[in-house]
Amino acid sequence: MLKVENLCAGYSGDDAVRGISIEVAEGSCVALVGANGAGKSTLVKSLCGLIVPRRGSVFFCGENISALPASEVARRGISLCPEGRHVFVPLSVEENLLLGAYPRLPSFGRFRRAASGDLQHLYEMFPRLGERRSQQAGSLSGGEQQMLAIGRVLMARPRLVVLDEPSMGLAPMLVKEVFKAISSLRTAGMTILLSEQFANSALAVSDRAYIIERGSVVLEGASAALAKNPAVMAAYLG
Amino acid sequence: MNTEFLALAQMAVGGGLMGMAYALVAYGFQLTHAAGKAVNFGQGELVMLGAFAGLSLSTAALPYWVSVSGAMAVGAALGWFVERTAVRLALQQRNEGWILLTIIVGLFAVSAAENIWGREDKPFPTPWPEGALEFFGISVTWPELAIAAGALGIMTLVELAKRYTMAGIAVQAVSADQDAAELCGIRSRSAISLSWAISGMSAAFAGTIIAPVTTVGPTMAASLTLKAFSVAVVAGLDSSFGLLLAGIALGATENISGFLLGSGWREAPGLILLILALALRPQGLFGKKIIRKV
Repeated sequence: MLKVENLCAGYSGDDAVRGISIEVAEGSCVALVGANGAGKSTLVKSLCGLIVPRRGSVFFCGENISALPASEVARRGISLCPEGRHVFVPLSVEENLLLGAYPRLPSFGRFRRAASGDLQHLYEMFPRLGERRSQQAGSLSGGEQQMLAIGRVLMARPRLVVLDEPSMGLAPMLVKEVFKAISSLRTAGMTILLSEQFANSALAVSDRAYIIERGSVVLEGASAALAKNPAVMAAYLG
Repeated sequence: MNTEFLALAQMAVGGGLMGMAYALVAYGFQLTHAAGKAVNFGQGELVMLGAFAGLSLSTAALPYWVSVSGAMAVGAALGWFVERTAVRLALQQRNEGWILLTIIVGLFAVSAAENIWGREDKPFPTPWPEGALEFFGISVTWPELAIAAGALGIMTLVELAKRYTMAGIAVQAVSADQDAAELCGIRSRSAISLSWAISGMSAAFAGTIIAPVTTVGPTMAASLTLKAFSVAVVAGLDSSFGLLLAGIALGATENISGFLLGSGWREAPGLILLILALALRPQGLFGKKIIRKV
């Protein structure tokens, strides 16, 4: 479904991503595991169109999407839940969720009705968001904001969900909750690309994984096998 | 004593009503700054061009409301044009060239207006009745009332559209976090263009409601950009209600100081307000820009 070939990207100066190739098959959950600064976020941002890659290409469902702006990538079905959540702080919880579904809602007219089915489904999944639907997103706790960011992604009815560091900055109990949500998405048949520092949790929830160090893939394979690999576990206790 | 007080009150009310037009022009600053982090320093010239467009349409014997709508359409097109020609490229290159470029577009607009419509000031026809209304001894003319109603009406309409249409919520999302908005499939460039078009539209509309009071001429906007800018800086960037208050206050004080100190001092309060605001409230219009994320 997603195929990244020999991608090089970075903000300025040195490339943070140095020739990475990865693949995500439809219906699978793939993890990118690596320490902070390994280049995971740069990789994820450049495949979603937020950064223009210097070299290499990104294919999604057979189409080369490497030169497209982020809004066009999103409209093709890749939804990124960005690192640091990036909810729309001044807007309400429900407005945040509606924005997730923006491309298929009418710009003028009855957008709330058009999205009511999806909203209801989402509030069943995350009851806390339902309780706080008219509250400002900025007033939510970190964990709730993460749920909102994931909810916003799901409102897009994505073909591929990309989660960038969903556990960042959360208390251990909330991290557990986030991973529970991810594994339920996976059982629902969603295709997921997950970038994560916590190797244990990431390998437990995924089918395949790539271990990334200093902008390159150093190991790849089935997550279950990587979880038993002593070299991985020694490098990424967590 | 009483007649003097009445004269002052008359000045304050007349100035305050005109001040609502300043607020409307300042609202145009607020709209484009929220979405695209830039403002049009030729906004006053858009007001002037809007007034001329309305005048030309009504001399072509079109009804008043059609002329005003036509002027608003012209203003929207001009606002869009300024963003595309003078602002977008500079912002993409992360420089502040848009400041000078929008001023240049404004200067160009003045010369164009002199060539097309001539230098002299012209009256702007309206369908409002002659004469004035009196409230407690203070007289208010119909064109002045039209300024208040028009400014309030347009700002209310735009604010409602921002809150209750998906397009409006999307523009708010782009203001709040442009990258996250793009990730939701919102084309942020279109949202910014839309804000500039609406900003231009409100400037042109301001022209059609100011002109009946001040007459139309190429230099009618000369001090308007500065006044609206003072209003925007004083009121801050979030509240359209604050803009109205600041606009009314500025309009009233400049009229009163012109009355008490002589007409040469009319412009002084605006400048003093601007200097004070920049000194005491550096988190105003430009404070935001300095801490802009790169």
